[in-house]
Amino acid sequence: MRNDGHRLKISFGAILLCGLALSSFLYSDEELHKVWAVKDCKVIRPGGPTIEKGTVLIRDGLIEAVGVGLPIPPDAEVIDGSKLTAYPGLIDALGQSLLKLPEEKFDMAKIYSGEFTDKDKGITPDLRAYDYVNLGKSVFEKYYKFGFTAGQVMPDRGILTGQSSFFCLSNPDKAKSLILRDVCLGIGFNTPSVMVYPNSLMGIQAYLKQVFQDGIYFEMNKSRWLKDMKGIKRPAYSSTYENMADYTSGKKPVIFLCRNQHDIRRALDLAAEFNLNFFICDLGNESFEAIPELKKAKARVLCTVAFKAPATSLFSQRGKTEREKAEKEVYPKNPAKLAEAGIPFAFSSLATDDPKSFLEGILKAVEAGLPKDRALTALTLTPASFFGLERALGTIEPGKIANLVLAEGDLLVKDAKVKYAFADGKEFELKETKTKEGEKPAVNVTGKWEVTLAQAGFKVTIDFTQEEAALSGKMAAPFGAFDLTGGTVSGNDVSFDVNISVGGQEIDLYFSATVEGDTMRGTVVQGTSGSDEFTAKRIPG
Amino acid sequence: MKKNWTILLAGLALWGVALTGYSSEKPVLLRNANIITVSGENILGGDILIQGTKIVRVGKNLPAGPEAEAIDLAGQWIMPGIIDSHSHIAVEGEVNESGELISSEVDVRDVINPEDINIYYALTGGVTTIHTMHGSGNPIGGKGIVLKMRWGKSAEEMIFQGAPLTSKWALGENPKQTNYQGPGRARYPKTRMGVEDSIRNEFELARDYMRQWKDYEKRLKASQDSKGKIPAPLPPKKDYRLEGVADILNGKLWVRCHGYQSEEMLSIMRLCREYGVKLVCFEHGLEGYRITNELVKYGVGISTFADAWAYKWEAYNTMPHAAALAAKRGVVVAINSDDAERMRHLFNDAAKTVRFGGLSELEAIKTLTLNPAKIMGIEKWVGTIEAGKDADLAVFNKHPLDPYTVCTMTMVDGKVCFDRAKYLEDRKKAEEEKKKKEAEAKAPKEKKNGAEV
Repeated sequence: MRNDGHRLKISFGAILLCGLALSSFLYSDEELHKVWAVKDCKVIRPGGPTIEKGTVLIRDGLIEAVGVGLPIPPDAEVIDGSKLTAYPGLIDALGQSLLKLPEEKFDMAKIYSGEFTDKDKGITPDLRAYDYVNLGKSVFEKYYKFGFTAGQVMPDRGILTGQSSFFCLSNPDKAKSLILRDVCLGIGFNTPSVMVYPNSLMGIQAYLKQVFQDGIYFEMNKSRWLKDMKGIKRPAYSSTYENMADYTSGKKPVIFLCRNQHDIRRALDLAAEFNLNFFICDLGNESFEAIPELKKAKARVLCTVAFKAPATSLFSQRGKTEREKAEKEVYPKNPAKLAEAGIPFAFSSLATDDPKSFLEGILKAVEAGLPKDRALTALTLTPASFFGLERALGTIEPGKIANLVLAEGDLLVKDAKVKYAFADGKEFELKETKTKEGEKPAVNVTGKWEVTLAQAGFKVTIDFTQEEAALSGKMAAPFGAFDLTGGTVSGNDVSFDVNISVGGQEIDLYFSATVEGDTMRGTVVQGTSGSDEFTAKRIPG
Repeated sequence: MKKNWTILLAGLALWGVALTGYSSEKPVLLRNANIITVSGENILGGDILIQGTKIVRVGKNLPAGPEAEAIDLAGQWIMPGIIDSHSHIAVEGEVNESGELISSEVDVRDVINPEDINIYYALTGGVTTIHTMHGSGNPIGGKGIVLKMRWGKSAEEMIFQGAPLTSKWALGENPKQTNYQGPGRARYPKTRMGVEDSIRNEFELARDYMRQWKDYEKRLKASQDSKGKIPAPLPPKKDYRLEGVADILNGKLWVRCHGYQSEEMLSIMRLCREYGVKLVCFEHGLEGYRITNELVKYGVGISTFADAWAYKWEAYNTMPHAAALAAKRGVVVAINSDDAERMRHLFNDAAKTVRFGGLSELEAIKTLTLNPAKIMGIEKWVGTIEAGKDADLAVFNKHPLDPYTVCTMTMVDGKVCFDRAKYLEDRKKAEEEKKKKEAEAKAPKEKKNGAEV
């Protein structure tokens, strides 16, 4: 026993210090149950009738069967769903929050040379979301809580912003959670830098035309040369044009990131001129102003739900009162108006900061007249079919990826109670937040604390933010900075989790402590594998 | 004979459709106003009959007809809607594409913002048509567009159909980036010689570009004629910038050239003649009064200010008489705003040409109407009040050149787009409603508090 404990203690410190992964701590697929049976639950089927009391069988990441009175396989782990409703996992049609793009600093020396790269000009079709995605259990948890189990991410900086990827929110290993890579190319109307061409909106529109034209010309030259290399000079390689090829040809779709109704019209002009396969991402919630044009172009829209009035709108120009009134009364009606006009749309989390405000925005749209079943379709079937995934995602039916959530009652309500989430057939149980049962907090720990881990023998800094009983913050360790999750304060006690990813491994640490004035004393547990004691001191100032 | 019958019937049917289409909108009769027609004498106590978007008749004691909606404007003055030939409103984003020296590929048409509240403000000053354009940062800048102030309509609907498209050029300090204070390299050119040379250089590139396309078309035809024996040639690469310059060389774009000094204006006129470019106007052209013979000879107008100068060294050598001096010598002179605020009282600026330069009232009014219409190539439709022209009208409570005049109503295409009395009434109502709401919001709170106590 003594020996064992010793080994664990050393390993625990070693992981934190060096990011080494020992097998006993690994978060491994193999250890998880692969077969699940959710019994007696209500099954919601977008576009079809609801099953009042059915069973959902999940095997090896896929849905095996859905129906009434199905026999439960002997190897299945059973969940009693009699109080639960099963929804297909919601899909974020386009988001940013899983992406961590490197910080870009413009090299001022270039201004003197006057030589700018495509990247300086905001032309980065070679930038792939896949390369910069930041997946992890604590991130997934934030999404599960509101019913999301899949989504598309895309860089959104510059003009040709980069290529998107579609992920299942199932595994911190992006190679395993990826569904499709390089799905769409983003087009934004953002000036990259004051110093560099194009630095005006009209310049962007003109330059986009030129870039598309150049891309087409490059492809034409290349295919001529490939057809017969004799007698034709081969064209120089271009990463930009190579990466654009599938999008200029219309084989793959582009997504226009439109900040207002005028951007939408500019996008439609470009799409028509170059015969593009396209989506309109409506960041300004003004697609209702362009319904005839959208209809004519057979446009598909990705609706965002922050409902902020664009600066160009008359409401914004008329001052704060008018703007706020419109943000309450006019803009939330946008999705409902699209639904009424029969324009296909899905919901995108762009413009909202996190899954919570994303869902709140969707509920606002429902309040403003969007039928709830249409809202659900726009979060399931529509985004799946938009991106060619209708046979893999969007409903609970046999053969599809086992992405579903089990909620107590309705999912599209404020304070929805999601109990379980399945992503790629992996089960995740959402714990009740402790805040409700706990005492009122007797302390406020907001501020920076220096935490000393006794056996690991090193220090970390935690910056707490306490709002009543809810505790959030950031832990800065020698090997990186990590967000706190599930933090609560109850009486003099605090508890919080930190999900650390080091060297490709995911480690969950559970902290609990008692506060006395400016000191804190408690334990940190690493799963079932080990624990350590810690003390913390408030850093003055 | 039978055939003729059917044709006649078809004709009648068409005529009927046209008639019903025409009469679907009630005619409007503006009555008893003092009309500054610009095309002829002023008519004191006259009427204007409007049908649809057009002026049908102008005169005294016009019969109203039973259907016409009559508006009595006794004691008021009507002038043709003001045309601002140099403006930058209703443009979304930067008005200069300053990332590179030449920006002939960019087009203001792509960034029209029909929601710009300055459009409405322009209407409050009697402005009905504007030429909105690229800034003066580039020797050859972007394309400009002529808009009617159809407030509430879409960008596409605001475009003045038939108005020639323009190309904005700039000479002097701005394209030299003299006042540029940000970080970075000094962009070529740094002299007035260099500015002109950069234009000439672009002309040569565009000529070469056009030659390449002509050559390609020739070879393509040869290939097609040979039935596959001669392989199809590779087309030249499409270049939007050079196509913009080619449009200038082909006369498709009318050039509006920002310039202050007489020497550079003379020089650029020579360059334009050499390349056959249609130069219609110098923007600002503060020293234009010095070269009136040349401006008249080559049909180049000036779009200028009444009394704004000395804001930079190249703008020193002028005076408030300059516009009037040039106009008296036959130059087509337009008084413009270049500014959203000045746009609302251009009539005051026109009055200054009378006060300082001794222009006649008619000539002064022309600087806001017929002259800019000529410069913009739209005098067929607007600029005067006469039968057949667009019903774009500005109504004032006093003569528009009176220092105390106020614009009371503005019509675009026969529709009232601004009515001061109605606007003030609406505003009053809105304020009262706001007060009422505030009072209501307060009242229940007090009650609630009372109940709690």
